[in-house]
Amino acid sequence: MKDILSKTIDVAVQKFGAEYAEARAQKLFKTMLTLKEERVEAVKQGIENGAALRVLVNGAWGFASVGTLNTETLTNAASDACKMARAASLRLKKPIKLAEAKAVEDIVSMIPRKDPSKIPVEDKINTALTMSKIIQGYDSRIKSCTIDYLDLTGTTYFMNNEDTCIEQGKLYVWSRLLATAVEAGVFTFSREEIGSTAGYEIFDVETPEIVGERVAKRAVEQLKAKPPKGGTFPAVLGPNVVGVFVHEAFGHLAEADLTLLGSVLLGKFGKKIASDVVTFYDDGLVEGAFGSFKYDDEGVPTQKTLLVKNGVVIGLMHNRETAQKFSAKLTGNARAEDFRFEPIIRMRNTFMEPKDHSFEELVEDVKFGYYFKGFRGGQASLDGTFQVGIQEAYEIVNGEIGAPIRNASISGSTLETLLKVDAVGKDFELWPGRCGKGQTAFICDGGPHIRVKEVLVGGSA
Amino acid sequence: MVALKQEEILRLAEKAVGLAQRKGVDEAEAFVYQGLTTNVNIERGQINKSSRIVDRGLGIRAIVNKAIGFSYTNMVESELVIEETVLKALNSAKASKPDEDWQGLPTKKTFSSVEGTYDNEIVELNSEDLVNIASTMLGAAEKTDRRVFPIEGDAGASYLCKAVANSNGVEGFDHGTIIECSLATIAKGEGEATPACFEFNIERKYDMNPEWVGKEAARLAVSALKAKGIETKNMSVIFTQFALQQLLQYTLINAVKADYVQRNQSAFKGKIGKKVASDIVTVHDDGLLNGGLRTWKFDGEGVPQQKTPIIEEGVLRNFIYDNYTAMKEGKESTGNASRAGYLSTPNVAATNFRIVPGNESKEDLISGLEEGLLVYFLQGAHSSNPASGEFSVVATPAWKIENGEVVYATKGVMLAGNIFQVLGNVSGLANNERKIGQLVAPWVLVENVKVIGR
Repeated sequence: MKDILSKTIDVAVQKFGAEYAEARAQKLFKTMLTLKEERVEAVKQGIENGAALRVLVNGAWGFASVGTLNTETLTNAASDACKMARAASLRLKKPIKLAEAKAVEDIVSMIPRKDPSKIPVEDKINTALTMSKIIQGYDSRIKSCTIDYLDLTGTTYFMNNEDTCIEQGKLYVWSRLLATAVEAGVFTFSREEIGSTAGYEIFDVETPEIVGERVAKRAVEQLKAKPPKGGTFPAVLGPNVVGVFVHEAFGHLAEADLTLLGSVLLGKFGKKIASDVVTFYDDGLVEGAFGSFKYDDEGVPTQKTLLVKNGVVIGLMHNRETAQKFSAKLTGNARAEDFRFEPIIRMRNTFMEPKDHSFEELVEDVKFGYYFKGFRGGQASLDGTFQVGIQEAYEIVNGEIGAPIRNASISGSTLETLLKVDAVGKDFELWPGRCGKGQTAFICDGGPHIRVKEVLVGGSA
Repeated sequence: MVALKQEEILRLAEKAVGLAQRKGVDEAEAFVYQGLTTNVNIERGQINKSSRIVDRGLGIRAIVNKAIGFSYTNMVESELVIEETVLKALNSAKASKPDEDWQGLPTKKTFSSVEGTYDNEIVELNSEDLVNIASTMLGAAEKTDRRVFPIEGDAGASYLCKAVANSNGVEGFDHGTIIECSLATIAKGEGEATPACFEFNIERKYDMNPEWVGKEAARLAVSALKAKGIETKNMSVIFTQFALQQLLQYTLINAVKADYVQRNQSAFKGKIGKKVASDIVTVHDDGLLNGGLRTWKFDGEGVPQQKTPIIEEGVLRNFIYDNYTAMKEGKESTGNASRAGYLSTPNVAATNFRIVPGNESKEDLISGLEEGLLVYFLQGAHSSNPASGEFSVVATPAWKIENGEVVYATKGVMLAGNIFQVLGNVSGLANNERKIGQLVAPWVLVENVKVIGR
């Protein structure tokens, strides 16, 4: 493999005049399952081999992706990529430069306790079937459930014309559980994800029984929930909601490519944007977490990156291009979904650091507000407005958790909201998820429980 | 990578089916997909990137004793890998559990004829041509106003081929083209920046107006400056196609899928023949729409695509089916099996989900309102409750309408409600139909929407 990639890079540099050239290749194997109720819709297995060439010619990027590892095709792809770059450079005003990266030679192997590629498909079906049975057996008002399962194993290769050469094992295990419940014309919906880079042993902790019951219980409890009042209220956010808030509302703004596009963080470096109790990290080193890896897809080692410390912006997440623009250190955030995509800046495991409050202390001072426990999706814009949909919520009345609330969402200005965080809990949870930014990345997000003085709640009551 | 030709693609599909039959499956189906895409990217006001992506592969469904296995590969040059893929599909089926509702793969039917889906001019475009399109678009935006900053955009051309074959004798090949260009801009005023404002063209034929895209993206951004908060109250809302697509994608479009209905996930279950929307609402799923973005001769399992009435003058008429969900009810597939290229088994999905437009111009729609909101984009529509249709989303960018005129941009505005109530409150449809993803629709006016401000 190394020989083929190195030959391809030589062609790009020597024959087509690339200033920079990198080649990535993958040999990956996937197993997927979908269960709808107890029906196994299909057992799916896939082989995906392919390679991508990325080059800089005259300061512009060229990229070519091919679904093969054949030398001749890759050489043609190198020529294609250089041609592409030359065309793109025609109207270029500012040539692209890359921050310097240390050359790395390494072989990274995954050593799972339970290697998913060695587990018989029958066992995976049984795990999914157990989830399905637990969910459906929980309550007769559960009307449907969908279980998706995915595992991905194999090897990726990275090589560039700066002597970096990395062979890296890949391993992901993921599952998603969806349940709906119906009663008297009320439809509820509940969702949960499991994800790990450690191995199939994730199901020993997040057992089908535990996760299945969590999903089913939420769907059923939502049946008696009422819509929230619309307006501005104090709120306590659970780790799952804090995670998606940190990821969506703040994290994307701190991806240096989006910061450069004019996110509200541009020009806020070293400035206070959040209350003193707010500290955020994006960490690629959390063992076994869904967003962890050793080297990113530009061959840069991953790290634990401090983004905000005590309310002050300390760092951004970079690739080699943005690190050069900001004269910043490399953070190892360049990730590509697979050989079809070029690496872009992505989050890894993004979280808020815990502090000192117990859950009771967070809730006790709230006269009337909401406890937002689980999210259903989130989104943010560069101008710093965010929306987080909520799948599990409760009223807080006179310092006590009250009636359940359904179909709420919160929104507002990220920076204003961060300044209103007035207490941070001492607990901590990290949740797996998938993030879309034109390509999918496996990530985690999380944090402790927190309290926000006020947030805009969208409701229909 | 050299593109496979029509005969090669079709032969590959047939070969895989034959191989599977010889290995002893009850039924087999092969789906081959090939996509060639050239793209030019704009980042921070300059064209700085170009890419060419060749993706092709083969997906095989094998059925043994009513249990379904699927396997795919992108290494279709290798006989060995094709054989391995067939075996994996077979072994997957053997490992799986029988599905008593399985009644077989589709049988052979005459494919529909389609128009406006292929243009040789698009196939022959190179990256320099796309650089010119992107450059025209960028220039038009920058000329409009100096407060405008184009942040992201692209120009891209794709040539897509697909072939299907199964053990019932179904076999088909179809190909098509797509060309698009898009630009997102923001405007910066004194101490403020607007949300990203976006415009695009997307067509199956080479009929582009990059100048208009650039100008319009810039005009929107400038008009989004000086945004103000508004009060909470119920009012009339005009949804543009972008907002509508975001809202319907996770709610209405799912509610008409037979799969959702059969599995009790649709609020439309048992509502065929009942009133579900206001009288002026007529919706078709039109898989044969001339130049439609999702128009093909056949669907993801080789069933001819068709035009299916969904809602006629407010009355629910049909759901959309793939072969499996149709046979479960003793019906015929409506040609709505969709696939993610060669990577997946078929799923029920809309083709061109068309809300039939009205006669009014969009200006008439605005001028008829004493008070209202014009909503371009929604944030968080994917967090809607897909089963109940309840949504709680941010409207941004959006503009306030007073006395028949757009008066200012708004900020911090949320919309909440239920999509099925929204359908009942539709009171106006403009005549400005356009295609966006699965949706083909005009601007839609809805009465009495809950608008939450400060």
